[in-house]
Amino acid sequence: MGGLEKKKYERGSATNYITRNRARKKLQLSLPDFRRLCILKGIYPHEPKHKKKVNKGSTAARTFYLLKDIKFLLHEPIVNKFREYKVFVRKLRKAYGKSEWSTVDRLKDNKPSYKLDHIVKERYPTFVDALRDLDDALSMCFLFSTFPRTGKCHVQTIQLCRRLAVEFLNYVIASRSLRKVFLSIKGIYYQAEVLGQPITWITPYTFAHDHPTDVDYRVMATFTEFYTTLLGFVNFRLYHSLNLLYPPKIDGQADVELKPAEGKEYAMDSESYLEKLSALSASLARVVAPTHEDEVEMDEFPVEGETAEQMDVRKKEQEALEKHKKLFEGLRFFLNREVPREPLAFIIRCFGGQVSWDKSLCIGATYDVSDPSITHQIVDRPRVEQQVVGRYYLQPQWVFDSVNAKLCLPVADYFPGVLLPPHLSPFVTEQEGDYIPPEKLKLLAMQRGENPGDARHQDEESEEEDEEEEDDNDKEEEEEEDESEKEEEMKLKKMEEQKTQSNKVTAGKLRLEDRQRLEQEQQSEEKRLAIMMMKKREKYLYKKIMFGKKRKVREANKLAAKRKAHDTAVKEEKKKSKKARRA
Amino acid sequence: MAAPAASSSFLGLSPGSRDPATVRRRSRGPRNRKKGWKRWAGPEARLGREIGDFLEDVVLQQRATGGLIAEQPDEGLFFVDTGNAEKDRQLNKGKEKPLHVDLVLQPDSKVPAPKNILAHQIPNGRKEKRRQQFWEKQAEKGVLPRAERRLRARLQRGRAPPEKVPEKGRSDPVRGFYDIWATDNPLDRALAGQDAWFLQQTKKQRVKRPARLQTKPSQVPAVEVIAAGGSYNPTFEDHQALLLQAHEVEVRKKREEDKVERQLRIPAGAELPTAETVFQEQCEGLVEESGDEEEDGKPPAPPAEPEDAPKTAPRQEKKTEQQRRREKEARALAAQQCREKAARCRRQEVFRLRSLRRQVTLWEAELLRRRQARLAKRRAKDALPRRLGRLRYEDPSLEVQLSDELAESLRTLKPEGSVLRDRFKSLQKRNLIEPRERAKFKRRYRLKYVEKRAFREVT
Repeated sequence: MGGLEKKKYERGSATNYITRNRARKKLQLSLPDFRRLCILKGIYPHEPKHKKKVNKGSTAARTFYLLKDIKFLLHEPIVNKFREYKVFVRKLRKAYGKSEWSTVDRLKDNKPSYKLDHIVKERYPTFVDALRDLDDALSMCFLFSTFPRTGKCHVQTIQLCRRLAVEFLNYVIASRSLRKVFLSIKGIYYQAEVLGQPITWITPYTFAHDHPTDVDYRVMATFTEFYTTLLGFVNFRLYHSLNLLYPPKIDGQADVELKPAEGKEYAMDSESYLEKLSALSASLARVVAPTHEDEVEMDEFPVEGETAEQMDVRKKEQEALEKHKKLFEGLRFFLNREVPREPLAFIIRCFGGQVSWDKSLCIGATYDVSDPSITHQIVDRPRVEQQVVGRYYLQPQWVFDSVNAKLCLPVADYFPGVLLPPHLSPFVTEQEGDYIPPEKLKLLAMQRGENPGDARHQDEESEEEDEEEEDDNDKEEEEEEDESEKEEEMKLKKMEEQKTQSNKVTAGKLRLEDRQRLEQEQQSEEKRLAIMMMKKREKYLYKKIMFGKKRKVREANKLAAKRKAHDTAVKEEKKKSKKARRA
Repeated sequence: MAAPAASSSFLGLSPGSRDPATVRRRSRGPRNRKKGWKRWAGPEARLGREIGDFLEDVVLQQRATGGLIAEQPDEGLFFVDTGNAEKDRQLNKGKEKPLHVDLVLQPDSKVPAPKNILAHQIPNGRKEKRRQQFWEKQAEKGVLPRAERRLRARLQRGRAPPEKVPEKGRSDPVRGFYDIWATDNPLDRALAGQDAWFLQQTKKQRVKRPARLQTKPSQVPAVEVIAAGGSYNPTFEDHQALLLQAHEVEVRKKREEDKVERQLRIPAGAELPTAETVFQEQCEGLVEESGDEEEDGKPPAPPAEPEDAPKTAPRQEKKTEQQRRREKEARALAAQQCREKAARCRRQEVFRLRSLRRQVTLWEAELLRRRQARLAKRRAKDALPRRLGRLRYEDPSLEVQLSDELAESLRTLKPEGSVLRDRFKSLQKRNLIEPRERAKFKRRYRLKYVEKRAFREVT
């Protein structure tokens, strides 16, 4: 047994990792600085596979970094800036302590600062990389821009976040890339498609903040610091991809300048630019003036291995998308003061609509309430007095639901004071066999171009109105309603059958004439035979899959039944209350 | 010397002097100790004190009036008062009293103030003069001092160099941006066109970021959209599903709490310790038990059983030669039989080839299965947040609104939860930061409370 003695923990995973404290000492930084550096550079802790080996026999839970990562950090020029800053703070404190004000001024003038541009370039070598990581940046910027300026973080950061967020919103408007909106109890989720990348972000409601105490603000501020830099560069590039000026300029600057007095009431000259931009009502100036040519049909380059069907599908999708983008084109909206202005203005403008609001509400109102050309007025109060003829008074949910449904929904459900239909999440996509709520079914039918559910619904409504007028024929109506329920039931059953047909194999009845039937039978027979021919293992798997599908259908059916029970209960209650009111 | 001489019999002028009759002689202690010597006592001491008083008085008079009062002429001390203001003024014309304000402003010290030497004298005057003469002489020759030269040079150059504009900081709201992904971005412009080897060796070029850092530490999406039940106006089913989820979380929490409570509860049938039992427990083994008690208890333990005793090894007798030989032969035989059997088996293996192959395939399949199971386990673990520090990641509480909390319209909506916390937790869930708890403030020394005196008097 020759050779050197092998010592423990001198090779292998023990040498690949380094604890946080040792890394910190190696970099000669304080812990907050180290954390900041790691966040900025995108170096994250690792969980080693063999903790005990890495931890030199101890099983205490520690934070580990890869040694190579830390060695990479050693080359970062920002580390030196951090050290300089530390010295700067020390000198400043000393000067303050000695009341040497001239020294304080001199030091403050030469405050060391750093930029994160090179880190952005390093972490996102291509523009698409940056776009893929934009979710976080946007959410963070929107969040920070709503913060009160109370010293939880720097006012400058808040201002920068606000500016970047508004710029991005303006880009989305200009490129019409918004796809989905979802009003949740937490905040508003948006999804836009920027250069083929889906980008999702969340914005808080603009109500009062409660600052949670279990959140490390320093960490969040560091992330924001990096993300603001990233978002700035991304915005620049995005604006240039649309031939827009950056920093953005409002189109038709001239007529804005004609009446400068108007802006003065709202904001100082230094602020009015951002305020006007954030009003989202004006379009942006382009580098090259847009030329209104006839839309040129795009050339088609068939991808190899793509069939004509696929091409057709793609073409159809493209058309649907174009239609979606022009959803509100030609409509003129007016926002009452009780509705959230910014999200609504953003969404309406994203789909080509024109929008205005009360002049006292915000800067940038383009027309008045009394404008006769207004087609839709968004109202969120139970009753509207003095309705103007020629426009719809709608609740704000109509806008959101229309965007998600990709069509202008019938307005009747959204009149003020009417119980709203549920706001469905556009981020949920049902798999085959899943339970689909009836509201969604209706919506899907409408998207397909049918209009059955809606008509029936209106019938019901008219029925109810009739009911109010005539007291006697209650019974008949109940019967009618029963009938409608029966219809619904039948429909549900049919649906169930449809669902189960694909997986359940039943013996068919003999019917000689029915060719379809025969065909079906043959198919099922073939299928049975195929099942019989399966290997044992495959059969087992097949059975398992089938069982899962059946279970799903069963669950969906259960949910449907539950929903029906709920609906009838609600209906009963309504009827009772109506009767009670009448009595 | 009239006034000081009278000091023994008259009342002294100084405020410290007292009526001699009232001054009692202080009785002093014994003089045999050093303490007794400290103060002068006796007639010589009194004399000394009087002399001291007198001298002090003289100094005071000199300070106040510029000489002894006794030596002043009468005119200096008195003025004529006729009771008529007009007449008085005429009579005392020469020695009218100056106003009090003027007196106050007069320097009252008789000692003259020191002269300001620098008022008519320049420090280093001679040296400076010589230097000036030197430079004048040099100037005639055309040689100027350094400062003057630089000043003139700057004037000749034209205007002053432009001040360096401070760089806009990263969080300045008006900082500018540029196209960082373009080919000629300002970041790379400085290094463009230079030799790569040179840049690398002189450390001008930044170190390349390792490829492993481009992967994200977790596959969880950055923004997780809330379930459909979290809509502000959800469908019945979605809302119920979300409520069920929240309910399950609560049940789990409750179960854990109950578990702890159950473990800590005193069982129903158990007796609670009384003071007596506690005392007895504390005295256990300290007090010698009386014989009666022992008899009342259980019978004395039986004597140690033979099983417990360690077995004594059977006595080794010395083997005979014969025994040794036979054992050796038996061993050799057994070894040979074993060898033969092994050889036979090996020969038979040839005919077991098929089963061997089957075994090998089975074993390989088993290994594959294990590997896959391991991989699947690791995949499943990938989705979960890792353990990155002392604390584990904890899911934030589900945001949910009960059926009666749901808003009827957007106007009446009350937001639930906080986006800030949601973002923070998301960062933790994606393994970007380790879960931490807020550092607790720990005081090293106990605080000492002192009541201020003024405050103490009040209370």
